[in-house]
Amino acid sequence: MISAKMDDIMEKAHPDETESLCPVCLKRIKATRLLRGNEVFLIKKCGEHGSFKTVIWRGQPSMSEWQRPKDPIHPDLCYGAVEKGCPYDCGLCAAHEQLPCSVLLEVTDRCNLHCAVCFADSGHGGGEDPSLEKISWLLERAMAAAGSCNLQLSGGEPTLRDDLPEIVEIAQRIGYSFIQVNTNGFRLAADRDYARRLLGTGLSSVFLQFDGVDDAIYRSLRGRALLDQKLQAVKSCGEIGLGVVLVPTLVRGVNTDSIGAMVRQALQLVPTVRGIHFQPISYFGRFPGQSNDEGRFTLPELMRCLEEQTGGLVKVSDFSPPGCEHAHCSFHATYMYSAEGGLIRIGGTEGDSCCSTDPLPGGVRRTVETVSRRWTLPSATPFFRSPPLSKETSCCGRSSRDATRVEAPLDLDVFLGEIATRSFTMSAMAFQDADNLDLERLRGCCISVISPDGMLVPFCAYNLTSREGKGLYRRRNGLELQ
Amino acid sequence: MTEVAKSGSDSGWICNRCKAPVEVQTVRLQYLKTIFALHLPACPRCGMILIDEDMAIKMAEAEQALEDK
Repeated sequence: MISAKMDDIMEKAHPDETESLCPVCLKRIKATRLLRGNEVFLIKKCGEHGSFKTVIWRGQPSMSEWQRPKDPIHPDLCYGAVEKGCPYDCGLCAAHEQLPCSVLLEVTDRCNLHCAVCFADSGHGGGEDPSLEKISWLLERAMAAAGSCNLQLSGGEPTLRDDLPEIVEIAQRIGYSFIQVNTNGFRLAADRDYARRLLGTGLSSVFLQFDGVDDAIYRSLRGRALLDQKLQAVKSCGEIGLGVVLVPTLVRGVNTDSIGAMVRQALQLVPTVRGIHFQPISYFGRFPGQSNDEGRFTLPELMRCLEEQTGGLVKVSDFSPPGCEHAHCSFHATYMYSAEGGLIRIGGTEGDSCCSTDPLPGGVRRTVETVSRRWTLPSATPFFRSPPLSKETSCCGRSSRDATRVEAPLDLDVFLGEIATRSFTMSAMAFQDADNLDLERLRGCCISVISPDGMLVPFCAYNLTSREGKGLYRRRNGLELQ
Repeated sequence: MTEVAKSGSDSGWICNRCKAPVEVQTVRLQYLKTIFALHLPACPRCGMILIDEDMAIKMAEAEQALEDK
């Protein structure tokens, strides 16, 4: 029975109906997104296990304005058949509403860290690494269904495989256009030849786990001091020309006060570092101290922290919802970061919604007819002179150069010359767990995990764990051989 | 395009509408939310801006670089 209090809340709700799962038994149940004050909650009830209420969005920008509607597009080749309905038929199934832009393959379950925050439940001694032949089969199968999308090689810790360069080569041959490795960076820091081999066989980017600039954070999240190794990993990649994206896992109270420091550190490492991609922690049932609203750190809170903690170097208004996945899954902004330390926002969606027809609020519009109607004369914009910049002193992330926000118009030649090497993307992705899962978001997912039996499963469905430790798709003890 | 005609002299283009020689000006042009400052020939009377082929190619490159995923 819903308690009287819950009944009261539901009656006052602005109904926003969706579906979720019971976090105890993983049965599909109805759910409602409810705005109370400036917080949005996901409220749901299981006939057997009672009512659940989880915060999903706190404050500005509001959840209702954070939209980027997309027409559903269903996969052509589906390895899953629609039978029980979402989320039980993944493969993908024909009811999925987005094509993958990225597929992820766990090439090993072994790991040389044992992080409590691991979503992959790695390092518990499950099974052997899949053979190159098996990997080839999985990658071909995924390519047939998903097309030439991005490939993420993950684990466990993928660099524990000596043959990772061969895996990259296989992926290249099969036709993946962009190949990244998700890694803690230890081997890249220590083994320059290995890093070179990875680059040589076609690795495009390194997504480096990077939780902060203070070793207390690493001790807390990862079990030991790691900052030097992380910076060394970036240095090694830089020396051979391999781009890096820093990937912090954010845990409230551990490193959420270090967000600004992480951004400034990342900028000091441009152009080796191409971006920073934040991941607020999700409760996949394995992080100690069960999920509660207090610990959750929602996307708008992160956006506001980015502005506050960088002193306005970045602004909430810089960020846009994604064009690929569901709007509530992420945000991003792209910048150019000059050698002198000027950070300039570039790109961005026109107007407040994708349906805006007038990119220029007010002002006179004149189009450049010989090129494109989308180029316009901007409305009167104050011209900010860049403040005097301090000189860059040393390399290796110890520069005294301060990053400064620049709002001045760009020189086109300078832009074209630098955009390839000096762009910097700031982004974040909020993964879903059994408490906050919204099936509408899941159906819009564009990141599929390639399971050991060759199915494509949306990332959050694959990693989801009930309060009893059960998953929908991930087998408990790591990869299985065919 | 018939708005701009080449003048007889070697000094450059004339705005066909205004019959005035174009002058190089600093023009601000916006694509999506990014503003560029460009030095382009423009008519001092009606504001018509001349984009030649080389410039058009550069702007097309910039469009590609800026387009959001």
